[in-house]
Amino acid sequence: MTTIAFPTLISRPTSYTGLWSWIGTVDHKRIGTLYGVTAFLYFLVGGIEALIIRGQLAQAESDLVSPEIFNQLFTMHGTTMVFLVVMPMSAAFFNWMVPLMIGARDVAFPRLNAFSYWTFLFGSIFLNLSFFLGGAPDAGWFGYANLTGITYSPGDGVTFWALGLTILGVASLAASFNFVVTILNMRAPGMSLMKMPVFVWMALVTSVLMALAMPIIAVALIQLTLDRVWDTNFFNPAAGGDPVLWQHLFWLFGHPEVYILILPAMGIISEVLPVFSRKPLFGYPAVVFAGAVIGFMGWFVWSHHMFTVGLGPAANSAFAISTMLIAVPTGVKIFNWIATTWGGRLQLNSAMLFSLGFIAMFIVGGLSGVSHASPPTDAQQQDTYYIVAHFHYVLFGGAILGLFAGGFYWWPKMTGKRLGEKLGKWQFWLMLVGFNLTFGPMHWLGMNGMPRRIATYADGLGWEMSNAISSAGALLLALSVLLFIINFIRTTSSRQEPEDDPWDARTLEWSIPSPPPAYNFARIPQVKSLDDFWYTKHPELLHDERGEEAAASAPAEEDTHGGGSIHLPGMSYYPFIVSIGVVIGVAGFMDVLVELPGTNIQFPWLSAVGIVIGMFGLIGWTFEPVSEEGGH
Amino acid sequence: MNLRRLLPPARSRSLFLLPVVPAVLAACNKGDAQSTFGTSGPVADTQANLFIFIFWIAVAVFVLVEGALIYSIIRFRRRGSDDSLPDQTHGNNKLEVIWTAIPVLILIAIAIPTVKIIYDQDGPPPDQGPVLDIKVRAHQWWWEVEYPGEDVVTANEIHIPIGQWVNFTMHSDDVIHSFWVPKLAGKMDIVPGDVRQLAMKADEGGMFFGQCAEFCGEAHAKMRFRVKAEEPEAFQDWLDSMRRPPAELVSDDAIAGQKVFTDNCGSCHATNTWQAPGARNERTRLAGLRSAYLDDRNKADGDRTNLIAAPNLTHFGTRDTLGAGLISLTRDNLVEWIADPDDIKEGNRMKELARPYRENTLTSEDVRQLAAYLMELKPVAADAVMEPDDGTAGGTAVERGASTFDSSGCSGCHSTGSDDRLGPGLAGISARQNDDYIRESIINPGAFVVEGFSPVMTETFGDTLSSDELNDLIAYLKTL
Repeated sequence: MTTIAFPTLISRPTSYTGLWSWIGTVDHKRIGTLYGVTAFLYFLVGGIEALIIRGQLAQAESDLVSPEIFNQLFTMHGTTMVFLVVMPMSAAFFNWMVPLMIGARDVAFPRLNAFSYWTFLFGSIFLNLSFFLGGAPDAGWFGYANLTGITYSPGDGVTFWALGLTILGVASLAASFNFVVTILNMRAPGMSLMKMPVFVWMALVTSVLMALAMPIIAVALIQLTLDRVWDTNFFNPAAGGDPVLWQHLFWLFGHPEVYILILPAMGIISEVLPVFSRKPLFGYPAVVFAGAVIGFMGWFVWSHHMFTVGLGPAANSAFAISTMLIAVPTGVKIFNWIATTWGGRLQLNSAMLFSLGFIAMFIVGGLSGVSHASPPTDAQQQDTYYIVAHFHYVLFGGAILGLFAGGFYWWPKMTGKRLGEKLGKWQFWLMLVGFNLTFGPMHWLGMNGMPRRIATYADGLGWEMSNAISSAGALLLALSVLLFIINFIRTTSSRQEPEDDPWDARTLEWSIPSPPPAYNFARIPQVKSLDDFWYTKHPELLHDERGEEAAASAPAEEDTHGGGSIHLPGMSYYPFIVSIGVVIGVAGFMDVLVELPGTNIQFPWLSAVGIVIGMFGLIGWTFEPVSEEGGH
Repeated sequence: MNLRRLLPPARSRSLFLLPVVPAVLAACNKGDAQSTFGTSGPVADTQANLFIFIFWIAVAVFVLVEGALIYSIIRFRRRGSDDSLPDQTHGNNKLEVIWTAIPVLILIAIAIPTVKIIYDQDGPPPDQGPVLDIKVRAHQWWWEVEYPGEDVVTANEIHIPIGQWVNFTMHSDDVIHSFWVPKLAGKMDIVPGDVRQLAMKADEGGMFFGQCAEFCGEAHAKMRFRVKAEEPEAFQDWLDSMRRPPAELVSDDAIAGQKVFTDNCGSCHATNTWQAPGARNERTRLAGLRSAYLDDRNKADGDRTNLIAAPNLTHFGTRDTLGAGLISLTRDNLVEWIADPDDIKEGNRMKELARPYRENTLTSEDVRQLAAYLMELKPVAADAVMEPDDGTAGGTAVERGASTFDSSGCSGCHSTGSDDRLGPGLAGISARQNDDYIRESIINPGAFVVEGFSPVMTETFGDTLSSDELNDLIAYLKTL
């Protein structure tokens, strides 16, 4: 191919260490680390916000913080935990593990991957800058119109929120395309879809959900921004707009989003449970199918967030039934997980405890969910602490415990060191007790009439004791997170002999050194069966009752490039530069417009600057070869 | 391995007990005023019963599934360092079909009563006697309550008769709110620009606590209200009393307070809806003030003035609470509230917008007198009423016009001096304009708009004022 002569705008980073190598990296493992570290830091930020909230609500008529601050805190707590913690932490595991588990050397679009991370990082910083620039958003993570209109939220907070989430949406979209293409196209030879690990399946379903859900919220956020900045009337009832339209758009995104948050954790424990039960996942096809069905049915239940909006009995009945139906595949997963442990040889280490804790707590969240799938009971529960209890059992008891399970399970692969087991178990039990103390009493509070999102409450309604217990539990949760930090520091500074396969595990990532080399696989493996690596180690097990027909893996295929040298994509600064352009471009819609002379057009000049930077980066990106030495 | 030490607490402490706790507590806290248990009307009763039905199913499932999980953990945990491989089961189709089918059956059992109740509770039942209509208008952060056809307007405390179905027709003046009285019925959101209905009935008397359930801004936590269910006769007495004139003020403080009120509070707070026509004008007036306020606020750098619909205070002294169900109505609480409403309810519009607060003109003496006046603001006893005063009879044309000027809300936007409020000051208007100009400006405010003012005046005065009232009003204005 003829190379088009185009001047190099910015040369690549040259060193593989140091700050510039991180900014220029396109290695999926390093990007996974960046996602993980960032998400964990935001986990601490969101946790501190939660602690202040619990401090305020520990007693009646408290004035630890003003209602103004309180409203900012619960808005940012929700926004942070959803968009800046659980999603990127899942992305960290996707980045690290999906290529390793499918026997690939990187994701399909390494530079797009870097672009996703930097856009996420800048978007999250932009969102949090609002704390220092006139006040954080304070209209709730769900941002219901028309409270978010300029009339009722005149400050800049809500604009920060709308634009910040728009930026984060760009990052999520880019990541989702990347993982769909990676999983569909880059699997090792022989790995058909039904031989993929469940975690990869859940990554695929999650990525498809993201690719479809993010455009919906993007439309809603753009409409909101236009309403606020250019006085359009999409959601303004005074001009014929419809605030309920926002709710439909938000939850049509928001309910799939719930599965975007939980499916990765479900994938993680579907890997952990078989390994530490020393037996295969029970009913692999059913677990995969249930995950896919949840992903599909997740699109038909959104109005159960709106049972009290007044959509009428027909709509409420239909969405009640669709919501109840989605409990069926969820139940299938739980039963299959329990059956996986049944008859096993359970090694109850930290990763396994967190996985079992996930199941135990998710059951509670699932059952309370059924009670508000019924609109007449939901009429009493909607917008109360009962709902807060429910979704924390699903998202903390589920997603967060599941992510910790993944952390303990994959730590030796990612770093070559095992996290301390003793501290890990202490953390688990403290977290389990603290979690139930924090969120258990909220069931009761909700049924006893305490609404959500109230900055304070009156004495004498029977809410004092439960709130006090809940706040005490939050301190235990904080302590358990502290134990993880100590564990992290001690493990990082410890000396350990790296083990390639410390758990006698089942999937391909354990077949390569820990931590993996930059190229992952010296030879691309040839896959013959589900859990191929396990059967390589235990070939005698292949003739069991389900009759896997093939013999153990054949020797791995020669590297397709031949010649022993492995071509990896070169580092690049352009994704970073394009991300800066995107963030500045979107930030230009803040209240920094200038009126074009002689007109009344408000011109977003800063966006123009962002577009110039972004275009510069894109041009450089386009003409930069994938790798330096004789790239394609 | 220290698992044996760790497992028992898992079972006893965190897994079995917690979800049972609410059930136990539910049994002993039915008296809590805002609880969804211990309900007092058929709507909430049915909802609570359905919840209890689902709850016990959930408990059964919970015990079975968590039990299986815990049994499996204990029974199949690795003992010692046994690394041998257990049976490599991959699945069992029969089992998997069974545990897919059983949840389906359970959910059908829940879905059937669910759908039936959804339709049952869609509006008041047609066969249980006349339905009392009550209009609720939600505001940031209080509730306006109107009894249509009765000319009764009040705020934050809703009186209803025991045993009669009540249908609330609800509007919002600003953002989405949600009307919720747990003891009587589940909540219904109120969406601005639209109407919502919610039917309920109280089977027993009592003071039922309610609260806005949809996040609606800074003081959302303090947007509370009470529903007072009384015997039908007591309810009728209350309704009648709301249409009687106020009792004569007794204390000197109260008499002085009345003047302070008229000068400072009367342009936003009505106290006169016991007069039938006044009540009808009230709605118009509030809507006009509201849009004027919003329009003003939308001007980015404009002077964010002064006007907003505010709770109707007619016969305020008979209420139990103040600040939207916030604290009990006592003289001391009222003094505290008037002195600094923000101290009790942060974000409330009165402190932010009302002139006496912005200009800090109320003395502590004023506050004391205002409280005395409001505490004495009660209807006269039923037997003391003579001819109802319809507010138009008697006096000279100028006097009648002055009364109309106050009761129709003109004074909300226009001063009678030369200072400009939302509308121009009216002193000396006869020297500037003729009768026709004044008349046209009242009936069709868009016709002439004085420079520097927004065209925000409501266009309904041509309908609400009779031609006599209009003539009187003009006669009065010409004396200014």
